[in-house]
Amino acid sequence: MRALCWKGRNTVEVENVPDPKILNDRDAIVRVSSTAICGSDLHLVDGYVPTMKKGDILGHEFMGEVVEVGKGVRKLEVGDRVVVPFPIACGACNACEAELYSLCENTNPNARLAEKLFGHSTAGIFGYSHLTGGFAGGQSEYVRVPFADVGPLKLENGFSDEQVLFLSDVFPTGFMGAELCDIRGGEVIAIWGAGPVGQFAAASAQLLGAERVIVIDRFDYRLRVAERHSRVETLNYEEVDSVPEALKELTGGRGPDACIDAVGMEAHFHGPLYTYDRVKQAARLESERPYALREAIMSCRNGGIVSVVGVYGGFVDKFPLGALMNRGLSIRTGQCHVQRYLRPLLQRIENDEIDPSFIVTHRLPLNEAPRGYDLFKHKEDGCLKVVLKP
Amino acid sequence: MATQQIRTRDKDSLTQFLGWFSIGLGTTQLLAPGAMCRLVGASGRGASRRVMRLMGVRELTQGVGILTRPRPTAWAWSRVAGDGLDLALLVLTGVKNRRARTAFAIANVLAVTVPDILESWRLSEKPGKPQPGMLVRKTVTINRPREEVEQAWVAAAEPRETVLSANAEVSFADAPGRRGTELAVEFVDAPPAGDLGAAALKLSGRDPATELSDDLRRFKQLVETGEIVRSDSTPDGHLLAGHVKQRPAQPLEEAVR
Repeated sequence: MRALCWKGRNTVEVENVPDPKILNDRDAIVRVSSTAICGSDLHLVDGYVPTMKKGDILGHEFMGEVVEVGKGVRKLEVGDRVVVPFPIACGACNACEAELYSLCENTNPNARLAEKLFGHSTAGIFGYSHLTGGFAGGQSEYVRVPFADVGPLKLENGFSDEQVLFLSDVFPTGFMGAELCDIRGGEVIAIWGAGPVGQFAAASAQLLGAERVIVIDRFDYRLRVAERHSRVETLNYEEVDSVPEALKELTGGRGPDACIDAVGMEAHFHGPLYTYDRVKQAARLESERPYALREAIMSCRNGGIVSVVGVYGGFVDKFPLGALMNRGLSIRTGQCHVQRYLRPLLQRIENDEIDPSFIVTHRLPLNEAPRGYDLFKHKEDGCLKVVLKP
Repeated sequence: MATQQIRTRDKDSLTQFLGWFSIGLGTTQLLAPGAMCRLVGASGRGASRRVMRLMGVRELTQGVGILTRPRPTAWAWSRVAGDGLDLALLVLTGVKNRRARTAFAIANVLAVTVPDILESWRLSEKPGKPQPGMLVRKTVTINRPREEVEQAWVAAAEPRETVLSANAEVSFADAPGRRGTELAVEFVDAPPAGDLGAAALKLSGRDPATELSDDLRRFKQLVETGEIVRSDSTPDGHLLAGHVKQRPAQPLEEAVR
C-alpha cells in the first residue's frame, strides 16, 4: 500500500510499504477514506519530538471502512464506516475506566521510553513517534487499529467524511480545551492560535455558554475564518505592542477568565525573547518555544484558568511560575481523551449546532501529501486544514 | 502504571563515578603510556613510561575494588593515597622539566582529590554492616479484584519464572480507592562482581530488575486486556531490550502471531 513516511527533518515522502495485518485478536484493519494533516504532525516533521525513526508512517486523524476484524472484535463488522480516535485505549485499565483515555496504561509498548521523559507513560497514539508506541499512522491506504471495540465510532448517518473526520482529534481537542475552562455562562475566554484546534476551541467555548471569545493569531485569513464561523472577536498580535496589555484593555482591566493555549511548542512572536527561544530550541537546549503559554499565564485574570491543549514535548525556560502561583491560577492540560467526546460531539453535529467541515481549505490525493505539508507549514494559499484522500 | 524501584545501597553515584573514572584513566595509562607521559609534561622515555604503566595498573585495581565491593571504604581511601603519590611524582616531573602542562596535570589531580576525600569520609561515617546487594521493588496496579489477579499469577508461567530465578517475594494488596490490586515483587539484587557485573547484565539486556518490570507490565496487559499490546515498531510487545533497536512504525512484511 502507499503511505506517507517521515524520512528525516522536514522531509516526508509517499512510499510503498507492506499492508497492515491483524496482530492481535482485538485488532481491526481500516481502509482509510479520508485523513488529515494535524498541527502536531508538523512538530514531528520539524524534528522537535524525539524518537522519530526514518520510515515512520505519520497521521493520527483518519476515518474509513472496516475491511478485516480479529476474532476478538465484537462491536464492529467488515463494511462498517468508522472514525478512529487518535489515542489508542484498552478500555480496561484504571485510566480508561476514569475516561482518561489518552492516559491508557496499557497501549504504549514503549512505555519505558516515555517514563524516562515524562515520569509516567501515556497511551499509544497512531503515527506519533516511538515515544507513544511506534504505531503506524493513518496517512496511508490501510491502518491496523488495536482495541477496535474501544476506540472507533461507528457512523450510521449520511454525513460526509469532512463533517465527521475531525471527531478523530481536532474537534474534541478544541472542545476539551474549552471544557477545561469550567464555563458556566458569562465568561470571557481568550484563545491563542486560530489553527484548527483554536477554531474548534472558539466554537466550543460559545457552545458551552461563554459570553465573549477572543481569538489571537497573526494570520488575518485565519482570524477571518474564526469571525465568520464562530462570530468571535479577534486580535492580531502583530498589531499590538503587548497581548496581555491589549487583553487587559479589552476586559475592563481584569484579564480573560480563562486562557486556552492552542499553539504549543513552536510559537512565533517578535522580540528578543523569541530569538532566545529560537536559538535554544535549534540547539536542542530547550524543547519548546512556549511564548503563547507565557502570554496566556500573564494575561489570565487573578484566580483564572489556563487550559493547555497545544502540544509540548519536554522542558521550557523562563516559565512564569511566580505569576501562576501568586495569582492563584489553575493550569489544566492534556492530550484529548477523544473516546469520551465522540458520541456527545456527534450528537451536536446531528443537532446542527456545528458543522466541523468549515476548517477544510485543501483537498489533495495522498500522493500529494508532501505538498500538503508544505502548504500547511508555511501557511501558503490560505491553508488551514489539508484533507488527504488515499 | 506505577513502577517503583527502591534502592538501599552504600555507594552513591559519585563513588560509582570515581570507580569508573579509575578504570578509564588506568586503561589509558596502561595502553598509551607515551601519550599520557607527554600529556603531563614527562619525557615519555626510559623509566617514565614504566612508571606510567604501573600507575595505570594501580588505578585499574582501585577501580575494580570500588566497583565490586558493596562499601569500598578502604578502596576509596586508597584513591586519596594514590592522588598523593600522583602529586608527588608530578612535582618531581615538574622540577625536572619545568613544563606548563605538568602544572595543568597537578591542577587536575587536585580537582579529583577533593571528591576522593569527601567520598572516603562519607563511606567511613556509614553506620552498620555493608549491604551486600540492593533491594529492588517493582510493583504494578492491575484493575481487577485481588482473587482474579492471584489466580492469573498462578497461571502465568513467564513472569513467575523470572521471579523464581531472582528468588523474589511476591505480594498482593488491595489498591486504595477500589482501584484493583497492587502486585509487588521484591528481591535483593546482588549481581556477581557488584557494579561491574550489573553493568555487564544491563548491556546484555538481561538485568533482573528490568526483566521483572517488563514482565509485570506484560502481565498487567494480559490480565486487563487479554493480550500483549504490540505496535509496528515493537511487534514483540514491551521489552526494554527492544526499545533501543526499533523498527520504523511500518507494518511488518510477515505477521508473526
